[in-house]
Amino acid sequence: MASVGIGGFYRQKKRGEVAKPTPKRSGTGKSAAVALSFTDPDQSPVLGAIAEHGKTASAVAFEEERLRQFDLDMRYGPCLGLSRMERWDRAAAMGLNPPADVEAILLKSSAAAADCHWEGRI
Amino acid sequence: MRVDVEMSGGSPKLLERKQAVYRNLDERYEIHGEKYKGQQYSHIYFTRLHYMRNLLYSLVPKWKPNLPVNTVLGLEEEKECIIVGTIYKHMKLKPSILDEYSKERSKVPLAKPHNFVHPDDHLILEDESGRVKLAGSLLDPSAFVTGIVVALHGKETSEGKFFVLDMLEAGLPPQIKQPPSLTEDKFVVFVSGLSIGSSTFNPLQFQLLVDHITGHLGDENEQTFASQIVHFIIAGNSVQILQGLLNGQTIAPRDQSTLTEPIKELDILLNQLAAAMPVDIMPGPSDPANFSLPQQPLNRCLFPGASAYNTFISSTNPHQFELDDIQFLGTSGQNIDDLFKYSEAKNKLEFMERTLRWRHLVPTAPNTLGCFPFTDRDPFLIESCPHVYFVGNQDKYETTLLRGSDNQSVRLICIPKFCETGVAVMLNLRNLECHALSFSTSLNV
Repeated sequence: MASVGIGGFYRQKKRGEVAKPTPKRSGTGKSAAVALSFTDPDQSPVLGAIAEHGKTASAVAFEEERLRQFDLDMRYGPCLGLSRMERWDRAAAMGLNPPADVEAILLKSSAAAADCHWEGRI
Repeated sequence: MRVDVEMSGGSPKLLERKQAVYRNLDERYEIHGEKYKGQQYSHIYFTRLHYMRNLLYSLVPKWKPNLPVNTVLGLEEEKECIIVGTIYKHMKLKPSILDEYSKERSKVPLAKPHNFVHPDDHLILEDESGRVKLAGSLLDPSAFVTGIVVALHGKETSEGKFFVLDMLEAGLPPQIKQPPSLTEDKFVVFVSGLSIGSSTFNPLQFQLLVDHITGHLGDENEQTFASQIVHFIIAGNSVQILQGLLNGQTIAPRDQSTLTEPIKELDILLNQLAAAMPVDIMPGPSDPANFSLPQQPLNRCLFPGASAYNTFISSTNPHQFELDDIQFLGTSGQNIDDLFKYSEAKNKLEFMERTLRWRHLVPTAPNTLGCFPFTDRDPFLIESCPHVYFVGNQDKYETTLLRGSDNQSVRLICIPKFCETGVAVMLNLRNLECHALSFSTSLNV
């Protein structure tokens, strides 16, 4: 008989759980156009996780963050299914002027997150 | 290539076949070792929207110079503006894979309709920031399909829909100026839907066509006429393999010949044709090529006899080429047949005109027509207007000359299925006029 509360050894909340971001609604509230905003740091789950773990912004974390921002930037198109370098090249070929510092990070480190942030997760 | 003519009481006169300068432009449709890495179709839609949006942004100032251009996200209520995006048509009758799992079967009709258009279909405009339903009576959903990019002038209503006041399509693309007309008549013959191997194929009928074109029939007049034919295009569906054999079961050796018979027969006929003039063969829906567009060229191993000739060209579907500087663009029919299923028009030529005005060869790909998930380009965008635009495997022969606002002129041709109609199409390169070439083997006409 389970009369004693099992909360002690059965965790009911995941360790380090981050609240999911709510999508922003545009000005009129009745509008059928739903906005998707990923570039706002307050809404990004990733940055939230970093903050919660209390990591200091080391150079590696900063680069990861910069690459993730590039992944989630809508202007350069979808990020799944392409490596980051391919996506950067595609954006450059289409004349979208992708940020040069992202290219610098991608060229520097060969293994550094070649695939985008969502790869394997979706 | 020479055709011998026996003149009555005299030495044989030699007629030389005319030639035209041919340039194959199929490179954009070939898959150059691009691998499928599990990507989805969002990339094609992104590149399509990007290209068409830049194009439409350049046209908007001439159309409505004083209105602001917004993204879907930036719409404000009751403020007139222009938005550019991809159309999505929500169709009630469109078959969905999920219908198989739905508990209520009553919605799915038992008989499959040929056309999925329904009065309740409505349009939605979408760009990266969001999507908005379109309201107003200006746009008739039955004339549109998912996948085209347009600019809309209107305003947001209190319900959150976009009330459309006006629409701008990209219009016919600019055309490379047609070279000065040739002095002599040169003809191109189009044929499609041979369906060798099917019950409707009549070998005598096609043999008549081959003999006529290669100059083995008729008197001197006929042969002179035949010597003016410079190119032969087969626009898809050359073979038809019995569906029952293709269900994955192993076939007994004695039955294996039924698989290869149609292709062998086609090779023999192509051999005769390739010996006489340049032949382009395009794959179609029933040919042994890949299913999704762009279909890759039929493998040369299938045609051991014909591929020995350098006049034999196996091309992609869609097919783009140049003959004496005249631009040709054509498909084996999948693009127009798909438009026919999901929208309405008075005839197939109107569908063809719409694809040119939308500047996209296959607007319904990848929504309802399979295509390869390209990541960096959309090869079906029409960047420059062809002089001749042909579509194969249609029900009947139709043609018209389409004129654009910028002095473009395009010859639109619907090539009928040869196995059903016995009709091939001849195009005169000098003046882009078309006529039908009809073959019949029945004795009681």
